[in-house]
Amino acid sequence: MTAPPGSAHPPRILVVEDEPALRRFLVPTLAGQGYQVLTAATAAEGLAQARSHNPDLVLLDLGLPDLDGMEVLRQLRAWSRRPIVILSARNQEHDKVRALDLGADDYLAKPFGAAELLARLRVALRRTIPTEAGDTVVAGGGLRIDLGRREVSLEGRPVHLTALEYRLLEALVRRNGRVATHSQLLAEVWGPGGEGNTHYLRIYMAMLRRKLEADPTRPRHFITEPNVGYRLDLDGPG
Amino acid sequence: MDASSRPILVALGSEARALRLIQAACRMARERGVPWIAAHVRTTAGPSAEDGEQAQVWLQEAQRLGAEIRVIRAPTLAQGLADLARSTHAQVLILGRSRDRWPWARLGHATADELQRRGLDAGLEVLDDPPGAVWEEPPETPFGATLGTFLVLAACTGLAWLVPREGNLSLVLPVYLLGVAFIAHRWGQGLGVLASALGALLYSFLLETPRFSQAAGHWPNLLFFLAMLLAAQLVMGLLRRLRLQAREVQRREVHTASLYLLGRALARSRTPEEVASAAAEHIGRAFKATAWLLLPEGDAWRSLPAPVEGSPLPSPPELSPGLEMGGREGDPLEPLPLGGAFYLSLTGTDRSEGVLRILPREPGGLPPRTWELLKAFAAQIALALERLRWLEEARRAQVERETERLRSTLLGAIGHDLRTPLAAIHGAAGTLLLPGDLAESTRRDLLAMIQDESERLAHLLGNLLDLTRLESGVLQVQKEWQPLEEVVGAALGRLERRGGAVPVRVDLPPDLPLVPLDAALMEQVLINLLANARRHAPGRDADLRAWSEPGRLCLEVADRGPGVPEAFLERIFDKFFRLPEAGEGGVGLGLAICRAIVQAHGGEIRAEARPGGGTAFRIDLPLPGDPPTLPEGAP
Repeated sequence: MTAPPGSAHPPRILVVEDEPALRRFLVPTLAGQGYQVLTAATAAEGLAQARSHNPDLVLLDLGLPDLDGMEVLRQLRAWSRRPIVILSARNQEHDKVRALDLGADDYLAKPFGAAELLARLRVALRRTIPTEAGDTVVAGGGLRIDLGRREVSLEGRPVHLTALEYRLLEALVRRNGRVATHSQLLAEVWGPGGEGNTHYLRIYMAMLRRKLEADPTRPRHFITEPNVGYRLDLDGPG
Repeated sequence: MDASSRPILVALGSEARALRLIQAACRMARERGVPWIAAHVRTTAGPSAEDGEQAQVWLQEAQRLGAEIRVIRAPTLAQGLADLARSTHAQVLILGRSRDRWPWARLGHATADELQRRGLDAGLEVLDDPPGAVWEEPPETPFGATLGTFLVLAACTGLAWLVPREGNLSLVLPVYLLGVAFIAHRWGQGLGVLASALGALLYSFLLETPRFSQAAGHWPNLLFFLAMLLAAQLVMGLLRRLRLQAREVQRREVHTASLYLLGRALARSRTPEEVASAAAEHIGRAFKATAWLLLPEGDAWRSLPAPVEGSPLPSPPELSPGLEMGGREGDPLEPLPLGGAFYLSLTGTDRSEGVLRILPREPGGLPPRTWELLKAFAAQIALALERLRWLEEARRAQVERETERLRSTLLGAIGHDLRTPLAAIHGAAGTLLLPGDLAESTRRDLLAMIQDESERLAHLLGNLLDLTRLESGVLQVQKEWQPLEEVVGAALGRLERRGGAVPVRVDLPPDLPLVPLDAALMEQVLINLLANARRHAPGRDADLRAWSEPGRLCLEVADRGPGVPEAFLERIFDKFFRLPEAGEGGVGLGLAICRAIVQAHGGEIRAEARPGGGTAFRIDLPLPGDPPTLPEGAP
């Protein structure tokens, strides 16, 4: 049992997937990790299950036979703030971005391995967002970010960031390992009116990498999801 | 010969009216369901070379519409036609008659009369030119012309007044003759006649002595009047002919030039839209009219350029019967007037390509004598559309052939490359399911193999899917300005997560400009190139470097592998191409995908032998304009 601390029961995961083969793989894999697994083969069934069992996380396939996955996502997000992870076919960046902007927490492109799946689920279930008040410190891979004192250090040496670079870093830290889309980051860091200027974001991301990555061409922390967005990975090897 | 199948014979000269004769004959032949023959008679007098050429054009047009054509030599037109009508058993002979001749010649028809005398066994059909087809002198305002006439006569009288009274009559006469001729030339026949009479009266009243007592009917004056009348008539006739000829020559020159210009513009057109804009431009210039192409699209027209508000298009059922002739779809023989606009069918060699719609900008309609030119325009436009259609069909056929070829290659590749990993997976799973105990190491080996082989399958399918989508145009390139560094980072990260360390030295100058590219696609290119380098030169560092040149950004991935023989440097980008000595591994899609992606970016990719051994893949990406920068005073 790897139930996160503080919860009374093992996390309940609802798998909405119409392919029997994938369900056959997902159910034992998740159950084997101690999760409580519910399954649904259609959007209607999935929505009903979500309402009656209020799962801790929904694993949602975008290609369902009866209803567009985006619509399912919209209906779930209308009442639930629980994490939703999307399963999508590869190379559909547009759909991924739409799903993330609609409030999905993360996505997995098929085919994916068990290790990748479990890592993403752990990240999505964590969601312990550091609050602004208090001495919240996140650290990993040689990088240490003190959100309370607005201080950043790499391998123990303080790093000076401009205000905008810091805001970008902070927005990524608050995602806690989950992917942030370009438009989400632009809205959070640049505010209204920043949309469409994706190249600002790219330039500032390049600056952050130069300051905070050992080798900016092989980023360990500031991971690019091409045509989708970025994620901050502090768990990986430094 | 059976009376009901006797052909219709039409005699064509070189004049423009031949087209109407062709039309009439064609229509009659279709109505009666009989063949028709277009004939041109070369008389011994011999037409000019130019006329002969023009006649040839009409004959070709007739042939295009299904006529049998004959060119015969005969002493006179009538004799040639009579012989031909007899030998072909024609039921009807169609002739044209011009209005452009002296009034007394309009009553009869010399050739027709002669044919009758020769005992023609065919019905005779004589077609007159339509009224208005002949160019008319543009009339000036009656008031201005009359005033001018009086002024000229007054001037003549003044001049004549200067002649001494006892002077010769012959000195006065030419002055009046000149005046009358000028009036006839300038303001036409009517005022010329009036000026003759007035001149005679003036002369007799003002110049004869005693001045006011002479009778107007005195015979020398009458003679003088008649002489002046005749002179005025002659001058009129001569001048009018000269002017007509000059106009005609000029008109032909203009027409030839405008046709040439249109032809050139059409030859350059590569889409129906370009054809339509070339047609609209040239028709607008030559006819002072706005033109549209109506192309059939389902049950309606697609109008190019878009129709203007307030001029509704007639529906195809409304238009088609008017343009159709007999059983044959529309023919560019006669423009169809409908609601202030004219419609011409655009008929190529085998079928109607659409309709040309002309809306004259001036209230008077189209300028006279331009319909032949308009028809020639329509024929050119039709041919241009037809050419485009054939090109499109050829292109489609080419794509189909290519698809067919790809499909057979694909079947061959699938035969081997899909079956091998499937067989391994199937076998390994079967072994694992066998009853009995397997050694833990064997069990793990088999499971690892299942994982590896299924990854290979997924990779192959992904590549096939990518290539298909790239080539069919389903996959749209989403270019955004971004640093190359980020794409390189993403590619290296993904490769490392997939298969461990990537031995590559990266050299990206820090001041490299942003470049517009689709990050996901370009990442795929880099992954394919780097994976190739890792496979062919295991353990040896590859080099990835980039630099900018004016107008482009260059990227190079170079390895220290065995290299590619020179003969294959280009072919390695072909689908399913594998170097002969290459062992197991890829299926020959990776580089094809790279090329498809780079080309979709408007760039180029090529392979070169690397100095010192190995292969260098170089990508040139266009850098259009200035890369965007951060706004001034960015926080």
